[in-house]
Amino acid sequence: MSDSPTFAGALFAPRTWREFLYALIGLPLGIAGFVFTVTTFAVSAGLAVTFIGLPLLALTGLGARWFGYGLRELSNSLSGTAVPPPAPFRAHPGLLGWIGSGLQDGTAWRARLYLLLKLPTGIIGFAAAMAFMAYGLAGATYWIWRPFLPCNTSTDGVCHRGAGLYNDVYLDTFWGVALTAVVGVVLLLLAPWVLHGVLTIDRLLVRVLLGPTASAERVQELEQSRAQAVDDSASTLRRIERDLHDGTQARLVALAMNVGLAKEKLAEGGDSAEARQLLDTAHTTAKEAIVELRDLARGIHPPVLDAGLDSALATLAARSAVPVDLRTSISARPSPAIETIAYFCAAELLTNVAKHSAAHHASVDVRTAAGVLRLQVSDDGHGGARVGAGSGLSGLADRVRTVDGRLSVDSPEGGPTVVTVELPLQSTRVG
Amino acid sequence: MRVVIAEDSAILRDGLVHLLADRGHEAVAAVGDGDALRAAVATHEPDVCIVDIRMPPSFTDEGLRAAIALRREHPDVGVLVFSQYIETRYATELLAGSGAGGVGYLLKDRVADVREFIEALTRVAGGGTALDPEVVAQLLGSSGRTDVLAGLTPREREVLEQMAAGRSNSGIAAALVVTDRAVEKHVANIFMKLGLPPSEGENRRVLAVLRYLES
Repeated sequence: MSDSPTFAGALFAPRTWREFLYALIGLPLGIAGFVFTVTTFAVSAGLAVTFIGLPLLALTGLGARWFGYGLRELSNSLSGTAVPPPAPFRAHPGLLGWIGSGLQDGTAWRARLYLLLKLPTGIIGFAAAMAFMAYGLAGATYWIWRPFLPCNTSTDGVCHRGAGLYNDVYLDTFWGVALTAVVGVVLLLLAPWVLHGVLTIDRLLVRVLLGPTASAERVQELEQSRAQAVDDSASTLRRIERDLHDGTQARLVALAMNVGLAKEKLAEGGDSAEARQLLDTAHTTAKEAIVELRDLARGIHPPVLDAGLDSALATLAARSAVPVDLRTSISARPSPAIETIAYFCAAELLTNVAKHSAAHHASVDVRTAAGVLRLQVSDDGHGGARVGAGSGLSGLADRVRTVDGRLSVDSPEGGPTVVTVELPLQSTRVG
Repeated sequence: MRVVIAEDSAILRDGLVHLLADRGHEAVAAVGDGDALRAAVATHEPDVCIVDIRMPPSFTDEGLRAAIALRREHPDVGVLVFSQYIETRYATELLAGSGAGGVGYLLKDRVADVREFIEALTRVAGGGTALDPEVVAQLLGSSGRTDVLAGLTPREREVLEQMAAGRSNSGIAAALVVTDRAVEKHVANIFMKLGLPPSEGENRRVLAVLRYLES
């Protein structure tokens, strides 16, 4: 929960009243869910020998799913859970396929289990809410409404206006009234905490039974990282096209223009000095275009990477603006995709060091162990690097995630900064 | 000629200004985006403008949008669109737009042949047409009337491409190394096969062909 109230203030916290509401409606919902599950299951099982039994069981499974979906939403909005929806129902084609999928739908069966368990948890929640809230409220206000109680006549014939406990003991003395009020206040003060505690069981069940399974979460994670990989490569291609269009292509056109003009000059037999100047410009432009193309090609795939990650990193370290101490211990060769990602991570991290950290020294440490390639780039700069939305580091983290890798940043204000990238040696898992 | 240049690459913009000056023409303004182009044309009333398709802010087709708007707003100003790529859709949009003035669509590479480039620019400034051979090939290829075009002989198809590029009969004769008389015969055959009545103005002739191709 985001709002964690103080002990006494809890009674007036919105959280408490949401949970109170949740506990109250939990009972009728628990009864409804229990009845729904038991009857649909019993009827389907009873009809199992006929041809409608199993389809009915599949269909009511879908009903249980919807029921669970609603209860999960309710719990998220009132009871403070944040459980994502389970994977949607995916049926095999055809009526038989649909029935088969419905019967094997784990989400539906888990929802059924929750609906059964919701009855006891609903009763407990309701009882706790009533006992503490209602009795607490009644006790705390006893002194106000006691005088209006009807007369209780004790065996000695005296009229007592107050609740009778046993054997002519009535709460109508000053101390009796005071004690009742104290008990009421204590109950009221305890109510939010007891209620919150009691609902913990329900929250746990919602999380386990109404949320996505671990494998469904994994699928979702993979879908996300795949989308990221596709976006990443599309934007890389767009960047390369832009670089070519604005840079190299424009230079080559300018080069052709100058050479063409020089050719015209020479053909006209005019000023050869002017033609020479045009050719000079063209020559410079040609050399610039070559450099640009080389950089662009290296940005797509550094050729030295084919000789191994350590050679590529050595070149990278030598070209860095900040002095780099490189240590490599690569015993098993990673797959090409992993080498490329590791290389570009190192390149980007070293660029960051040079651009942002004001460091005097950086070190790159790469080692492989237990099927994992660990790349660590550290510097003695001023620190404060964050993986934030839109930052270069979060882009790297996204890219690393596409192969199930991890990127972590340790960069306190004042430095030093250590960025660790861990990648599996093979980009695809076997088995 | 008085020319306005709209090109966001500084190196090409400067190159064009230099090239025009060298060939005795005046670049009255050289700007880097579509809005500046329209303002410059309104101010300077040039004979022709050279327009890059891809310019800021979105780097997609703002040059083309500006060119189409210019043809509508300043019918007497020739518009030569100038790009690294030829897109059929851009060509048809440009030609379909209103405007009686000259129009052209050339690959940037064509600037390498300075003389031909200046000729094309002059043609557009004079109300004529200059289409890149690539544009013509794509329009011919993409046209839904390939069945009718299939009725043309290879020679007639060549003549049609030259026509679409904006050349006069004698220009075509020179390019294909045949006599003027032969070209006239081919042109008459093309018009007959495409069901078009022959007309006198060169520009009208090209536009008639193109309109037919676009249909």
